[in-house]
Amino acid sequence: MFSKQEQKADFKEVETIIGPSVKIKGDFHGTNNIIVEGVVDGSLKTSGNLRISDKAKITANVEAKDAKISGEVKGNIKIRGYLEITALAKIFGDIEVLSLSIERGAIINGKCTMLVSGEEIKKQQK
Amino acid sequence: MNIYIYDSFLNQKKYESVLAKIETRITDMGLNGKIDRLGITKNINEIVNQEIKRGAKTIVVVGNDQTVNKIANAMVNCQIPLGIIPVGKENNDIAKALGIDFEEFACETLSARRIIQIDVGLANNTCFLLRAAIVNQETTIEIDQNYSVEILDKQGETQIINLLPPGIILPIKIKVSPQDEILELFIKTKATKNIFNKKISYSLFQIKKVLIKNKHFPVIIDNSKSITPPVEISLHKQKLNIIVGHNRNF
Repeated sequence: MFSKQEQKADFKEVETIIGPSVKIKGDFHGTNNIIVEGVVDGSLKTSGNLRISDKAKITANVEAKDAKISGEVKGNIKIRGYLEITALAKIFGDIEVLSLSIERGAIINGKCTMLVSGEEIKKQQK
Repeated sequence: MNIYIYDSFLNQKKYESVLAKIETRITDMGLNGKIDRLGITKNINEIVNQEIKRGAKTIVVVGNDQTVNKIANAMVNCQIPLGIIPVGKENNDIAKALGIDFEEFACETLSARRIIQIDVGLANNTCFLLRAAIVNQETTIEIDQNYSVEILDKQGETQIINLLPPGIILPIKIKVSPQDEILELFIKTKATKNIFNKKISYSLFQIKKVLIKNKHFPVIIDNSKSITPPVEISLHKQKLNIIVGHNRNF
C-alpha cells in the first residue's frame, strides 16, 4: 500500500499559478504543475499535477495526473493518478480516477468511475 | 578593439569624476578602446554598424537601462559581445540582474570576459532584455490564441519577464532564466479589499507569445521605452552575446 505521504500530489515545481484575481477563458493546456486559485472557463488539461484551491471556480472539463480539489468544479474530471477531494470541494460532473480520497463534507454530484491500471487488469485476468 | 559607447546624459558635468574613474580603471586593466559619445544628431544603428565593420571586438555600453536597450536593439543581429558599465544606481536593473557591479567596478567583469548567449524579448518590433510591463487597469491578455486572461482586479501590474529584475520576489521557487527560450508572464494584483489586510496575489504563466491590449495605457519595456498597445510580445529569433558577472541571478 502507498503511504499517505507518497499519495500526495507533488507541488514542489509549480510553473503555472492562476491567481485569485484572474479569469482564464479558453483551452488551457499545460505540461507542468498548475495551481488554480481563480476562475477558469473552457477546458483545463495538464500532464502534470493540479491543485484547485477553495476560492477557485472552474467551469471546464479537467484532466491531470494527480490532483487535489478544494474549490468548485462544474465539468467532468479525469485524473490518471490520485485525486484528493477535500471537505470544501463542490464537484458537479463525472469523475474518472485511478485512486481517490474524499474528505467528509465534500459535495459531489456526478458519476464516479475508477480507472484500473494495466497491471491490475493483468492480475484480475490471472 | 573595444568600443565604449557613452550615453548623452553623461555629458553633464556631474558625471566627469565618475567617467574619469572608469577611464583610469580601463587603462589600468589594459581594456583601452575607442570612445563614441551618443548625441541627438547621432544615429545609434549607424555608429554600431560602422564599428562592427571596422572590426570591433567588444561593444561596451556606458550608461543605464535605456542606453543598454538602445544598443541591444542595434546589436541583436551581430555576434560581437555586449559589455555594460552601469553609471548611477538608479535605472540599472539590467546590469544588476546580470551581476555587473557599478561604474569603475564593472571593469572587473569586462576583464573576466564571461560571455553567454541570452534570449532577447521582442515587443512588436522593439527588443528588450529585462521585461515588458503594463498596469492591470483595462488590460487584456491573449496567450497563444488558445486562451485569454482577464484580470478581475484593476490594481497592480502585469509583467512579461525575460531577465528577472532585482527586487521582484516570485511567489514560488521558479528559475527565471534568459536562456530557457521561455518568457514568464507575472500578474500582481491585490486579492482582498480589506484596507487593513491588503494581501497581494500573484499569477504566473510560462509563455512563448502573448498579445497585450489596452486602449489607454502603454507597455513599458526595460524601464525606459513605452509602446502603444496592441503589443505582441515574443522572443527574437536571434540571441545576444553578453558579458555577465559572477553574481548574476540565473
